[in-house]
Amino acid sequence: MPETSVNILVGGEAGQGLVTIGEFMAKALVRSGYEIHVTQDYMSRVRGGHNTFAIRTGPDPIWAPVEDVDILVALDQETIDLHKSQLTGQGVVIADEAFDVGDLPALSVPFKELAPKPIFRNVAALGVLASTICHDIEDLEQLLTKTFGKKGDEVVEQNLEVLRAAYNWRKEQDFVVECMPPSLVDVGPEGSGRLMMQGNQAIALGALAAGCNFCPFYPMTPSTSIPLALSALGRDLGVVVEQVEDEISAMNMALGASFAGAKAMVATSGGGFALMCEGVSLAGMTETPIVIALIQRPGPATGLPTRTEQADLNLALYAGHGEFPRAILTPGTVEECFELAHKAFDLAERSQSPVFILSDQYLADSYRSVAPFDLNAYPQIEGPLLEADPYYVRHALVPNGVSPRVVPGTSKALVVLDSDEHTPDGHITEDLDVRIRMNNKRLKKAKVLARDMFQPVRYEDEDPERLLVCWGTTLGAAREAARLLTSLGERTGVLHFQQVWPLVPEQFMSALEGAREVVFVEGNATGQLAALIRQQTGFVAHKQVLRYDGLPFTARYIATAVEQSE
Amino acid sequence: MSHVTEIIHQYLRHNKKFPHVFCPGCGHGIVLGSLIRSVHELGLPKDDVAVVAGIGCSGRIAAYVDFNTIHSTHGRALTFATGVKMSNPKLHVICIMGDGDATAIGGNHLIHAARRNVSITALVLNNNIYGMTGGQCSPTTPEGASAMTTPYGQLEKAFDMVELGRAAGANYVARGSVFQANMLERFIRTAIERPGFGLVEILSPCYTQFGRKNHFKTPVDMYRWLKENAVPRESWEKMTEEKRRGRIPVGEFAINDAPGLEQRYAEMAARLKEEAER
Ligand code: SF4
Repeated sequence: MPETSVNILVGGEAGQGLVTIGEFMAKALVRSGYEIHVTQDYMSRVRGGHNTFAIRTGPDPIWAPVEDVDILVALDQETIDLHKSQLTGQGVVIADEAFDVGDLPALSVPFKELAPKPIFRNVAALGVLASTICHDIEDLEQLLTKTFGKKGDEVVEQNLEVLRAAYNWRKEQDFVVECMPPSLVDVGPEGSGRLMMQGNQAIALGALAAGCNFCPFYPMTPSTSIPLALSALGRDLGVVVEQVEDEISAMNMALGASFAGAKAMVATSGGGFALMCEGVSLAGMTETPIVIALIQRPGPATGLPTRTEQADLNLALYAGHGEFPRAILTPGTVEECFELAHKAFDLAERSQSPVFILSDQYLADSYRSVAPFDLNAYPQIEGPLLEADPYYVRHALVPNGVSPRVVPGTSKALVVLDSDEHTPDGHITEDLDVRIRMNNKRLKKAKVLARDMFQPVRYEDEDPERLLVCWGTTLGAAREAARLLTSLGERTGVLHFQQVWPLVPEQFMSALEGAREVVFVEGNATGQLAALIRQQTGFVAHKQVLRYDGLPFTARYIATAVEQSE
Repeated sequence: MSHVTEIIHQYLRHNKKFPHVFCPGCGHGIVLGSLIRSVHELGLPKDDVAVVAGIGCSGRIAAYVDFNTIHSTHGRALTFATGVKMSNPKLHVICIMGDGDATAIGGNHLIHAARRNVSITALVLNNNIYGMTGGQCSPTTPEGASAMTTPYGQLEKAFDMVELGRAAGANYVARGSVFQANMLERFIRTAIERPGFGLVEILSPCYTQFGRKNHFKTPVDMYRWLKENAVPRESWEKMTEEKRRGRIPVGEFAINDAPGLEQRYAEMAARLKEEAER
């Protein structure tokens, strides 16, 4: 766990601009070569409520959020009241002089003076914050100039003036601050060259790298940023992003496009995905490739729309009536979001099956500092065939079950699909022998998926007494927890599943059997991966650490739960 | 006759799929004939036609025609078809749905496909009943009519599909009947040829599940009813309220030229590309 990280928490009501402050600060840190880890906690409303934007930053990699707060930027009184107990010994509150900070160490800022117009208060807060961590003001000046440049010189100048006034005001205060240690990355005049990116943006980019060109969607938090990113970036790439009447339509439209040769994806969350299940089954029956980004939030029903949970593994695994193969990829980092999204298109095309990317609100909204992706390492995915003879048979019985897929309207071949059981040439049938052959053919494709899956990866101690088993977005907190627990006395390692289906027991049984204590760490109430592994292998978890209060895991949460159950 | 046989050989999967599943007197066979004659007359290559069908008796038409076909799921044909059209605009996409398919489970998709005005030809075969599943009422079952699920008569009002399509923004809206096959073919051809969403409601009798329970003695009776009561729009407009009762107007109800969604999309993409390059 990084010793040198600083945790900045910006809190206030929706509409006060806390995200602006947070994003500017985070961007500046990334440009200067620092690692960042952003956690956004917001209420499901456009105005009011209590929201936070937490940036944990430092020179070393940071994998998870922490509870402790070093710098609390309070845009309202409530933020102080709610979070003062999290302040560390050296912590400081940055707040308007009108707020009651009690006897907390605080910078009581005369915002009225520094920013006569209320709309500049964000920039003033940013100036004080940057100054408090000794962040280079020139860096911020450049960033503001770049961002507000479109709005004209006057706007830029006004913002810079407020920024400087606030920055300098803090320096004049009789208040000792601890500066950030220098970053470890070479920073040129154009900045570190690293990117500030959220999980969902990385999914969109990975999809584009794979050639994704069709994404119909219905808005649903926390998945909507994927189609938004696709439409923003797809402008020059010719991506069709269509907002449709409901998720049923989104799914079926994507299947239609995929049938006609597009690389199609849908993005949704639990409730929306529930409406897509019928279409998942249609993809299974018609052997139409489809990528499904399922970005989880707590359920049941509308649940907690803006919070996080890992409770839809079973939903993805069992969605759609009937039996057909599928793959479920579960990225643990922003980089894995990119890599797995790219891979999802490859798997979908090669198995002609539905492939899931299962993420959640925490990673979806979490900004990180990432190195630019080497696009040469991610080639465009091969698409379906465009040529076939007139005797083409869509579902030809081939040894591995994956029949050559041809796009209609590009050759003399007619392409026939049927959601009813069908013969190899796609025609409806009730011949029950044919039924058995076709069902077997479809199920055979599971082997294609299993042969080409992501192995679970071990982190930290390679030969631990205690093993923390996790999947998807829990990776970061589990790694930090393993280090913490090791420092407390017991060698602890991590086994992370970046793919939870299909499962190949030979890939992970020795790890499970090699540790004295195996603890499953999952963001749900029932231990869905633990149950699945037990069902598949008979292995029973020794312990489970589960979280389902809508918040992401932290190292302390995991370590405390593990120790309490000793 | 030889001409007919030739067309059948050219467009039907005649050696594989027949005899067909339709009951004696079912109107759907006439629609099937009208469809292939329309495509033939327009001279569309088979490879450039994609037929997307829903589920129900009408959906079976997809099994008989020798085009690219997708027998999709109940209610979802239009969404699947929109994906096909947006992905490959050069295909002529024809959707075949029943009344329950298009206006009950797929009602929302119908409204929005019309609103988007995507260039799809939607043929809704309206027999006022769910045929394949045994005669349950549909959103177009007339008030008072008997169905398996309305044993005491349908209480609810029926949808007027023409009004629905017109209000939702479809370029082309027509209603025809299988008794007036020439007129029907004209509507189908127009819908295929014109840009934008073309909705053709087709009155197609189902004696088995509807006629028998609603005082029709034979299938022929139902065609006789159509002959007398499916009146051309022009005559309908001149009729008194009194005379209109129990009758239904057929004809073209909306003819607009707005470009289809796929065309507007391509134009926007070209414009943005040009802007980006500048
Ligand atoms: S049940 Fe009705 S609609 Fe279906 S085939 Fe028979 S007559 Fe036609």
